[in-house]
Amino acid sequence: MRIDNQDHLCGAPFLKDKTQGLYEPSPEFASLGRATEYSSKHNRAITDAIPWFQDWRAAAHQIKRYAVANLDKLLAQFEANISARGATVLWAEDAAEANRHVLAIARQHNVYRVVKAKSMLTEEMELNRVLEEAGIRPVETDLGEYIVQLAGQRPVHIVTPALHMSAEDVGRLFAEKLGEPFSAEHAHLTATARRHLREEYLRAEMGISGCNFAVASSGTLVQVENEGNAGLSTATPPVHVALIGIEKVLPRIDDLPLFLNLLGRSGTGQKLTTYTHLIHGPAPGRKLYIIFLDNGRSNVLADPAAWQALYCIRCGACLNVCPVYRRVGGWAYGWVYPGPIGAALTPHLVGLEQAGTLPFASSLCGACGEVCPVKIDLPHQLVHLRHRATSEPSPMNSRLERLTWGLWAWAMGGPRRYGLTMWAVRWGVRMSRFLPWHPGKLGAWTRGRELPRVPARSFRAWWRKRGGDGGLSESLPSPLAGEGQGVRGNHA
Amino acid sequence: MTSRDAILQRIGKGLANAAAAGSAGLAPPPVSEVWPCDHASHGARSDPQALAQRFADELAAVHGQTIRSGTMSEARRQLAELLDTAGWPTLGALDRPLVREVTAELPAGRLAWIQPDAQARSIAELPAGLLTAECLLADTGTCVIACPTAAERLMCYLPPACVVVARREQLVEHLPAAWAELSKRCTDPQASGELVLVTGPSRTSDIEKVLILGVHGPMRLVVLLVG
Repeated sequence: MRIDNQDHLCGAPFLKDKTQGLYEPSPEFASLGRATEYSSKHNRAITDAIPWFQDWRAAAHQIKRYAVANLDKLLAQFEANISARGATVLWAEDAAEANRHVLAIARQHNVYRVVKAKSMLTEEMELNRVLEEAGIRPVETDLGEYIVQLAGQRPVHIVTPALHMSAEDVGRLFAEKLGEPFSAEHAHLTATARRHLREEYLRAEMGISGCNFAVASSGTLVQVENEGNAGLSTATPPVHVALIGIEKVLPRIDDLPLFLNLLGRSGTGQKLTTYTHLIHGPAPGRKLYIIFLDNGRSNVLADPAAWQALYCIRCGACLNVCPVYRRVGGWAYGWVYPGPIGAALTPHLVGLEQAGTLPFASSLCGACGEVCPVKIDLPHQLVHLRHRATSEPSPMNSRLERLTWGLWAWAMGGPRRYGLTMWAVRWGVRMSRFLPWHPGKLGAWTRGRELPRVPARSFRAWWRKRGGDGGLSESLPSPLAGEGQGVRGNHA
Repeated sequence: MTSRDAILQRIGKGLANAAAAGSAGLAPPPVSEVWPCDHASHGARSDPQALAQRFADELAAVHGQTIRSGTMSEARRQLAELLDTAGWPTLGALDRPLVREVTAELPAGRLAWIQPDAQARSIAELPAGLLTAECLLADTGTCVIACPTAAERLMCYLPPACVVVARREQLVEHLPAAWAELSKRCTDPQASGELVLVTGPSRTSDIEKVLILGVHGPMRLVVLLVG
């Protein structure tokens, strides 16, 4: 699915564009399911080996809570500290303004080629499209991002963007886009990417990165990575632009060891990632620009019950354990952030009108809340958003939704009404198999599921015949006796 | 009103509403003790040999290599051997006292001193780079490297192999043990460039979760531990 414009991005077409992933096993998402299951088990073993891991989670939660409660002061403190070392700090209220800042910097420094280290924030901004339209060539350098950029796709995972592609897929892609001989050897594919990207680093006039933490007390920009592409993207070109979501701030430099320990272990099952960059400011002769982006984050602050959505450190642990994510993949969430954190964060950033269905994309099994390294209570965040989505303007508060639930409430309001409704439902289900197609949401549902066979006699009728006690003293024939396989739903 | 003021004002207003609901104005939480004193490795701090062995084991676990040298002369000999066995005709080096010391017996033609204004392309053409560490972290097999200039930063990432030389006295137990010193560097108003923590060679698992070394940065990381 190629998403070409911001309007479509904001559509959050959950349960529309990739609905088939819910019932038709797709090879691309089968590999995703295996990989996420492996990651979650591996990372869980690493975190379980730390006896005080739960204490770390609790401490990190409190620190992030403090950071959000003092966000304005901490942002100003970070700005003052890093500006004093020669960095230029810019602010953007929304993605469009951030893009304008990047373009202005590019024009000022005569930039035509950009190397990018992985940044979800630049996905929010659709920065690659904006740069291309301005005649600037952006090249993603994280291997997974490079692969999905070549494929014209979006990342399916925030840590491993090409998790849905097999080595054969990547080999075919490199053959088609880079003119390389086909290979499905992992080492060969990686060496091919290295060879192509080396030249990109050396020729680029500007490097763009995200940021994992912005430490207020010291003005330190922290990036963690394994590949070395962030180091190369930020050190090789003469200009470095770092895009930072305003929620990435940490209060004190002494908080950092805790967060570095948590992020590596929960994200990739490492004690520390291969490279941890603590950037103080521009090196002599180089330029460093920091762009703080709000893009809807400050709207969360007035609702303290939702603050936890801003605590996320983007480790991806909640994606790996989520049974819904494993089945549908990242694109189904319709915007940049997939999985449980996407369902909890996106509605705040793009609004409930556009993403009000996302909080319902969860079984509320609680696995995400158990693994979150900063102890975000994701299930309750989703329940909170569900409540808001049904009481504020959103697709879940439409006239049809209200009418449906109003009818449901009426039907459940008394035994006679309930009996009448069940009679109608039984007849409806019996008749439905003779229809050539099913309308609307019913049709979407029955494309992949079987409607139950309606028993000849209802439970209520059976209960009445048994004299109201179900004839418990007698040997009980099953009320479902005679039920066989369900009937296959219609495939309209 | 600038965007900065608008954002900060909106945050302030949101927090004021939250304060009305009793959710703002929190006291700073205590700094978390990342490794409590009963950590299994605690005893290793008093045993330098055990600490050095742990560093070597942890670095090996992330596919790095440690060469331990009892004396500086042994380190010089081992460095020359490393160049020969790896087939590196030259070694790019940053001018540091410890680098001068360990390369003192290398033939001049086998050493290329990297100046602060060195071009990225020339650094990329080096077969290997020689750096010094501020400290080593035993618990994770990590080298902490200070890179105030762009050339120093590039020496960490561009050559296909990276050799880090350090003295055994620079070896500490783990990140929190080194943090008092490292945090001072981070808060120094004169600091520039970066402090980078390197834990093994460059790696990726982006294709089918299969680990491959050397995707962008060095494919090989060797730590020369002297003393």
